[in-house]
Amino acid sequence: MHMCTVVPISLTVGANRIVPTIAIPHPLGNPTLTLEEERDIRRNLVGRALRALETEVTGQTVFEK
Amino acid sequence: MKLELGYVFIKDIQFAEVSKVENGTLYVSKEEVRKIILEDQNFISAEVELAKPGESIRIMPVKDVIEPRVKVDGPGGIFPGMVNKVETVGSGKTNVLKGAAVVTTGKIVGFQEGIIDMTGTGSEYTPFSKLNNLVLVCEPKEGLKQHEHEKALRFAGYKVALYLGELARSLTPDETETFETLSVTEGIKAYPELPRVAYVLMLQSQGLMHDTYVYGVDAKQSLTTMLYPTEIMDGAIVSGNCVSACDKNTTYHHLNNPVVHDLFAEHGKTLNFVGVIITNENVYLADKERSSNWSAKLAEFLGLDGVLISQEGFGNPDTDLIMNCKKIETKGIKTVIITDEYAGRDGSSQSLADADASADAVVTGGNANQVIELPALDKVIGYSKVADIIAGGFDGSLHADGSITAELQVITGATNEMGFNKLSAR
Repeated sequence: MHMCTVVPISLTVGANRIVPTIAIPHPLGNPTLTLEEERDIRRNLVGRALRALETEVTGQTVFEK
Repeated sequence: MKLELGYVFIKDIQFAEVSKVENGTLYVSKEEVRKIILEDQNFISAEVELAKPGESIRIMPVKDVIEPRVKVDGPGGIFPGMVNKVETVGSGKTNVLKGAAVVTTGKIVGFQEGIIDMTGTGSEYTPFSKLNNLVLVCEPKEGLKQHEHEKALRFAGYKVALYLGELARSLTPDETETFETLSVTEGIKAYPELPRVAYVLMLQSQGLMHDTYVYGVDAKQSLTTMLYPTEIMDGAIVSGNCVSACDKNTTYHHLNNPVVHDLFAEHGKTLNFVGVIITNENVYLADKERSSNWSAKLAEFLGLDGVLISQEGFGNPDTDLIMNCKKIETKGIKTVIITDEYAGRDGSSQSLADADASADAVVTGGNANQVIELPALDKVIGYSKVADIIAGGFDGSLHADGSITAELQVITGATNEMGFNKLSAR
């Protein structure tokens, strides 16, 4: 399972579950936002990643939501 | 748009009381150059050194290399939007001090600047060992932030290069060369039978001092757009990069872009060189998608038959490269990509971080992970201690006797992805 910004690379290297993240230098945050807003982003992404791990997949799957 | 480049060949460089060019020698007033650097109050002191081909000199850490040029006829000045006013350049006449360069050094990031050796193994890998270099060692004031240091050093380099270029204003060039790009309709009429070819020039724009500027605009804030090839020869694109040395495009590379020169050499003979599409390499996926969409859209809009794509840097820009390639190929336009490789020290690992079946015509600048041995040299301009932390170096890279064991990526320009270098393998 990959949490990553450059989804095409994860697809190329064969990750089964992929959660797209914010940007390469700050995958789980955004320095232009407030700490509270960043915390929301992070909680959302980690939650999505946990849901992805619980989800059965039959092929490479990108979890956009 | 038509530009004449006048080459004034420089075979030697020396310090003198008064700066001038005479009989192929570039004489430089150290005091004048120091005065130019110290106009910027961000610097507390400045040393100026010479490094000539064959001398036992190592320059490190190198930030940028700049060729002195001067606009002698036509609108605008060299480095428009940076030092000179934002006038459209690329037409008229420009004189070049061919064989000379300004090299800027400084510990900005420390691990993301490179090495130029003027002799020995290292010198074979960098084109800048063949030049008569004026090296600027500028000491920043205490507490100057890295990005401010980068900017100050970048401008010191431009200003000194323009100062030297000015010496060629009234000289008669040893040789001249003319480059002309017709409008789209004129080009179709002039060369109806020839394949229409453009160049997609990818610019490093990841931010955090991995930046390139076009007419003064930070490339990461720009959409994919177009330039006449000759605008590049007048300094429309400059490097603000502190990134792995081997495959970053210095300002010198941009001014002398070999893809542009080679396409001009074939223009009107085997192909019709339509123009240059410039695109960026940003760190958000949406930016990568948008910018490559625009490369493909402009390629289609121009009615191209073929495209050459050059990359800058490595890692996630491999994705921008593959997106450009794939999307342009999807439009029915043939592509050739120019890149380099990070294939591990033994060369057996995957070379690029991304791949696609449509990338079936590839030129490589070499394997940046290859380990090389650099002998101790008599003189180091700059700071040798960074050898252990420079990208491509490792703990123990710098030996007690001054020799260095490191990956090829430490050498400025070693695996350049415009194909600037001459080394090849069979």
